[in-house]
Order: sequence, then structure tokens, then C-alpha cells
Amino acid sequence: MATDKSNLQLVVNGILNENPIFRLVLSMCPAVGISTTVMNGIMLGVAVLFVQVFSSCTISLVKNWIHPRIRIPTYTLTIATWVTVIDMVLAAYLPEAYAKMGIFVKLIVAFAIITMRLEMFASKENLTHSFWDGVGMGLGFMVGMMAIGFVRELLGLGTILGYDVLGFRPLLFFILPLAGFFCVGLMMGFFNYIETRYKRVKQG
Amino acid sequence: MHRLTMLMRALAVLTLALLLPVLAQADGLIAGKSFGNDREIVVTFKAPVDQAVFADPAHYLVYEESDPDIRLELADVRLDSTGKIAFLGFKEPLNTTRPHVVSMIDLPAAVTGRTVETFRVAKPYLGYLLSILVSALLINNFVFTKYLGLCVFFGTSKRRDTAKGMGVTFTIVMVVSALMSWFFYQFVMKPHGLDFLQIVVFIGLVSLTVQAVDTILRKVNPVLFNAFGVYLVLVIANCVIIAVPLIMANNEYNFLETFMLALGAGGGFLLALYMMASVRERMELARVPKSFKGVPIAFIVAGQFALAFLGFSGLSLF
Amino acid sequence: MKDISTIIFRLTLTCLVAALIMGGSFIVTNRAKQHNQQVNEQKVMLSLLGYSAAKPAPASLALHPVYRYLVTEQDVQTLGYLVPVAGGATDAFALVTIALDGKFVARHDLRLAPEKAEQAKERLQAVQTAVGSGKTIQYADQTIIVTDNGQRQAYLLPGEFPGFKTFVKVILALDPGFTVLGLEIMEHEEDPGLGGEIVQDYFKNQFRGKPYEALKKLGVVKEPLPDEYRGALEAGKTGRLGPEEVARIQEQYKDHDIYALTGATISSRSVTNGVKGIVKKFAYRIAFLDRVLAEQRIVVPF
Repeated sequence: MATDKSNLQLVVNGILNENPIFRLVLSMCPAVGISTTVMNGIMLGVAVLFVQVFSSCTISLVKNWIHPRIRIPTYTLTIATWVTVIDMVLAAYLPEAYAKMGIFVKLIVAFAIITMRLEMFASKENLTHSFWDGVGMGLGFMVGMMAIGFVRELLGLGTILGYDVLGFRPLLFFILPLAGFFCVGLMMGFFNYIETRYKRVKQG
Repeated sequence: MHRLTMLMRALAVLTLALLLPVLAQADGLIAGKSFGNDREIVVTFKAPVDQAVFADPAHYLVYEESDPDIRLELADVRLDSTGKIAFLGFKEPLNTTRPHVVSMIDLPAAVTGRTVETFRVAKPYLGYLLSILVSALLINNFVFTKYLGLCVFFGTSKRRDTAKGMGVTFTIVMVVSALMSWFFYQFVMKPHGLDFLQIVVFIGLVSLTVQAVDTILRKVNPVLFNAFGVYLVLVIANCVIIAVPLIMANNEYNFLETFMLALGAGGGFLLALYMMASVRERMELARVPKSFKGVPIAFIVAGQFALAFLGFSGLSLF
Repeated sequence: MKDISTIIFRLTLTCLVAALIMGGSFIVTNRAKQHNQQVNEQKVMLSLLGYSAAKPAPASLALHPVYRYLVTEQDVQTLGYLVPVAGGATDAFALVTIALDGKFVARHDLRLAPEKAEQAKERLQAVQTAVGSGKTIQYADQTIIVTDNGQRQAYLLPGEFPGFKTFVKVILALDPGFTVLGLEIMEHEEDPGLGGEIVQDYFKNQFRGKPYEALKKLGVVKEPLPDEYRGALEAGKTGRLGPEEVARIQEQYKDHDIYALTGATISSRSVTNGVKGIVKKFAYRIAFLDRVLAEQRIVVPF
């Protein structure tokens, strides 16, 4: 079964229709825990993108060779390998950013989204499709993280990417880690609202 | 109900086993010693002692075990009315997380048979173990203050039954896999410098535990399997299960400490799930704006729980 | 049966490939990681001494680490200081043991390449062979003595103390008269937004310029931080105030207690007490060490 979507559609699908954070409600831990700034979102997004793309490609390449009975262990091993690699690379070359993300880079290994994509997509599709699907999912995660980071950084610190745009701090509360819960909840509600309005306009 | 009593009994035995070494100490002059408030050490003697000797700061030398050359300055020493308890007051606050050494010097030989009496004052180890448990359970609750395991948390907190099933299954797998991870980390990875394989080994052990529990439960107790089997698959998608071994390796915990951490993490997850499920069951009756129904409002409730849990921060019971 | 053997074969192969990938990247990244860590530590230390990219440290500046050990022999404890010996080869070190009351006990000479001296494990081995068996050695702490052209400029003290939640790891810089030059928080687990604010300039820079006499009885006050003082503390980041202005304001507040962080008085107090403890212990010990080095005519580069 091959998908009939084009590469671009696959990427857009990951960012919008099946956005891992806002649509699939998966991999929420970093979305709450370290989405305090846009930069954090980008950094972890890059890590997830790397792991997703490499795992998808690996599985897609060897899909005919994987014994169906050890399917899941093979996925886990593949993901864990790439997570270890990106973990070591970040720790070595970007120690400051790595320190901010703490344990979350290692925890990518337990992200349901990656295993799910391997099982549902990469194990059935060819390399090119899997690659673009991986890119789409990774970017979708990154965009979601950046969106939350954008709201929290703007409201909490009055800055974007470290640049002062407001000149004051409107709501310091949003920079507290636990405000992630409120922020994600409110944003999800907001998107739902927009969607229902949009549908209603379209129908009527 | 029967299972619960069994659990209580096991806990009682464990507590006793840990308490025994604490009770079976002290010989000679000293019956007991402990930290009082943050600048006080309390020493209990077996019999009333001489006010002139034992209430004199000049007879005491106190230092932190790791800094034997730095004497801590005593402000005063008081004996209580029975003459059996001495309160050593210090000028500076003590670092009670570290063991201290108290030496009583120039004692009249007639009293004790020797002129110097030296002993160690430290927080009881059991207290330390319990503090790890309480910390993982409340202060650093993995869901509400470390923001881990959220996918499964929001997925399985719709009904209380589900919450209980998931919580209990998770705790069991957590404890077993954490102890296995500890074993591997201490005896295989650390001696061979294979620390960088942490992620692979720990996730592998978790999968192994899940698979083992699945197989055993299916054969041994099919009734239980029907109740809990569905949650087993979800356990592996929970990042707490991999975070605990990583924390264990990072802090170089020993076997008992690892056990306490895993138990606290599992218990904390169960607690969070159950509370959340209780709220969400009631929320079904509430009038929530349409766009917020379901997951969005659950997030906001979780945020309120997190705010409440912030109140536990800095709590120290032991 | 055939099924199982294929499964085992393929799983083994997968593991092997995975191990190769991970091992390979470990070898590549580990060296870079250690190098970067060292560079970073060096940068923090130099910034504490007031050097930055704009004002680089002179070439004559040298950092000399001194390692302290606890040496125990049958209930008798002594302190062992591993110091570099000047005038000879660069791998000449001496372990000077000092009794608890400050009297000289013994000197053991040892050869240890400076790169190896930085590795805790190899250093411990070298020290153990130097003192001989029958004594237990325990690493205590490290002090870095900074010299410029052989003149003592500053002390850098890495330290650790309990915070509000767990521990706080810091590096403290002192001038030869034990006045604080700077404080850097390396690691902590305080609550973000509350106790976590100890890493902010407006808190940690309050220690800068506190003389030893003031530090000994330094306390914490729950008063709002004056705007003028805050401006001076954050001058390094905002760049709004000139250096003279900053020095003037700092002078004005140098004997003042530490202003507590809002909502984190206990964290503020822990850091203050921790810093106080580190400086007091160090000032006590360095006096003995200096006296023994002078008495025993041990020539050191600092």
C-alpha cells in the first residue's frame, strides 16, 4: 500500500492535519515542561526531527527484513540508538542548550509519536515517502513547540528569541514551568474554537 | 481487600527491618543523639551527669565529618532538669545533611572509665529513605512538578477504574524495571565504562519487564490479566518509566534508595491519575465551553493541581 | 525452530549495527565533550576574575590547582594538600600533610603529568602510592590559586552546599584579602521562577565586593532591592551604568546584608550561609597551608 500523497502534502500533513502536539495530543511532556522560550522549542524540535527522520529512513530501508514478531523491539532499538547519538552530539557541541533541555532529550525515546509513525507509516512505505513523512512529523512537533514557546515567552518575558519586543513583562506567571499546562489548554481550546467557527462559516 | 492487607504486612516488615539497626546501637555513656533545630545537637545520656563537666562548652569538640580541622563554635550547652539530656547550641546553623562528629574531651575518668568519648551524629538513614519516597511522591511528583508521563496521564484519567488499573500496573512495572536497571547499571555498565548506553539498556529492560509481566500474568492469573493487561502496552509509552532509571544513575542511588524512588514515582503517578480522574468524572456534569470540552479543560485542571503541588516544595519531614 | 534462529540472528545483527553506530559516535563526541567542558569551566573562572572576550586575560596569568585530601591512619586524621612544586619539571608535585591543629607532618614528592592531575581517578592513585599503603585517602576539595607574574591575584573555590530543595554547586572567586570577587552558580535544583532566581545577576552579584569582615556576619534581609543597587548589579548585562558609577554604588552597599529574593527567602539564606561557610573554612585553611609551605621551604608557583 503506497500513499498517493505528494511529498509536500506529507510535510503539510505533519504540520497541520496531524500535528503531534495539538492534533494527536502526543509527546506532551516537553510541550509543558520546557516550552518556556521559542529557542527551547527549536532545539528540542531539531532533536526530534533528527530522531524521527533517521528512524523512519532506517525502518523504511530494512522493512522487508524485519521479522514481524520482533517488530516493536526493533523499532525501540532503532529509536534508542538515534536518541543516544543525538544526545551525545548535543551534549558535546551545544552544552548550554543541552543543559536547559535536561532529561527531555533522553526521553525522546519514550515519545509515542515516533513509534507510531514507524508502525503506521515507515514500515509500509518507501524511503522517499518515509523521509518526507518524518520531516513533516518532526517539523509539526517543532512548530507546535515554537507556538507554545512564542506565547509563553511573549507573555512571560516580553521577548521573542531573546529580543525585547514589548519592553515589559506582561504576565510573569507564564514563564513558571507549571503555566505550560494552562498555556497548552488555552491554546487547544482556542484552536478548537477557530475550527468550529471556520466550519460554520464554510457551511453557512 | 486481601491484597491490601498483604501489602500492609510487607510494608510493616520492611519498616521493622530498617529500624532494627537504629534501635540496636549506643553503648557506654550515650543513650541517644540527634539534631535538634538547625543549630542544635541533642545528646541523651544513660544516667544523669555532672552539671559542672557536661554543661561546659570547653569539654566538647564538634566538627563535620568531612572537615575534621574546622571546629564548630559552640554558643552554649544546657542540661535539662533531669540532668540526662544536653542541648549543644551552636553559633552558626548546622548543615544537618552531613554527619557530624562530637568529641567530649577531658572527662573525669571516674565517671566513664575513659577521658574521651567520641560519637557520630547523623540523620537516620530510614528518614533519608523515606524522604526520597515522599519527594518522588509529592514534592517532585513526576506528573505535576516534573511534567513527565503526560500522554498516558491524559489518556487514562477519564475514569477512576482506569486510573487505578493504570496506576497499579505502572507502579509494579516501574519498581521491577528500576531495580533491574540498578543492577545492570552498577554491575555491568559502570565497571565497563558503558554509561553512554544508558538509554538503550534502560528502555530494553523496561520492554523486557513489560513482556515478562504480560506472559506471567496471562498464565498465572487470567482474571487479573483481563483487568490489567490492556495497560501494560501503555506503560512503555510513559516517559516516567525511563526517567526514573536515568535519575537513579545520575544520583548514584543504592538498591534501597532506587526502590524508594521507583515506589514513589509509581505511587505519585497513581495518586495523580486518581485525583485527576475524580475531577474529570465530575467535570462531565459541569458546563464547560464547547471548545474546551475534553483535553483542553483537562490541561487547565492539571495546571491547577500543579499549582497546588507547588505548595509541597521544600517540605522536609525527616 | 527455523523461525527462532532467524529472529535471533537478525536481532543480534541489529544490535551489532546499533552498537557500532553508538560506539562510533561516542568516540567522536566524547573528546569534544570533555574539551568543551574544560573550555566552559575556564571561561566561567576567567569571567569571575573580570576577564571577558572584550578584555582577555593576560598571558602571564596562571591558574594553579591545589587539591585537598583527607588522610586517615588508624583514627588519626590529617589533611593532605597536593601542590605543584616550582622550579623543576612541570610534573613535579608534592603532597604536604598537615595535622588538624595546623602543624606540618610530612612531605611526599611525586611525579604526575598535569593532564593526568586533572583526572580525579589517576590523581587519587598517584597520591595513594605516594603516601604508601596503610593509609586511607579521601578527596575533599579543590582550590585554584590565580597568579599574575607569580603574584597571587585571586582564589577560585568550587563548592557545594544544601539549598532549599537539594544542593547548590557554585564557584566563588576571592581576592588575596578574601574579599569576594564574584559568585557563579553552576548547578542547582531550586524551583524555577522562585529559588531558581539565585542564578540572576541581581542576586548573585550582591556578593561581589563584600569584604571578609562583612561576610563573616553576613545576613539576609527581606526588603525590596533598591532600584539604584539593582541597576548596578545588572550593569554587566544592561550596560546602562559606567564602571565608576557601578563601583560607587557597590562601595555604598558593601557592608549591607543580602537582599532576599521575593518568595525565596530560604534559598537566599542557604546561598548566603553556604558562601559564608566556604570562605570561612578556606581562610582558616590557607593560613595554615601558607605557613607550612614557608616554614618547610617548599617552593610553589603561587
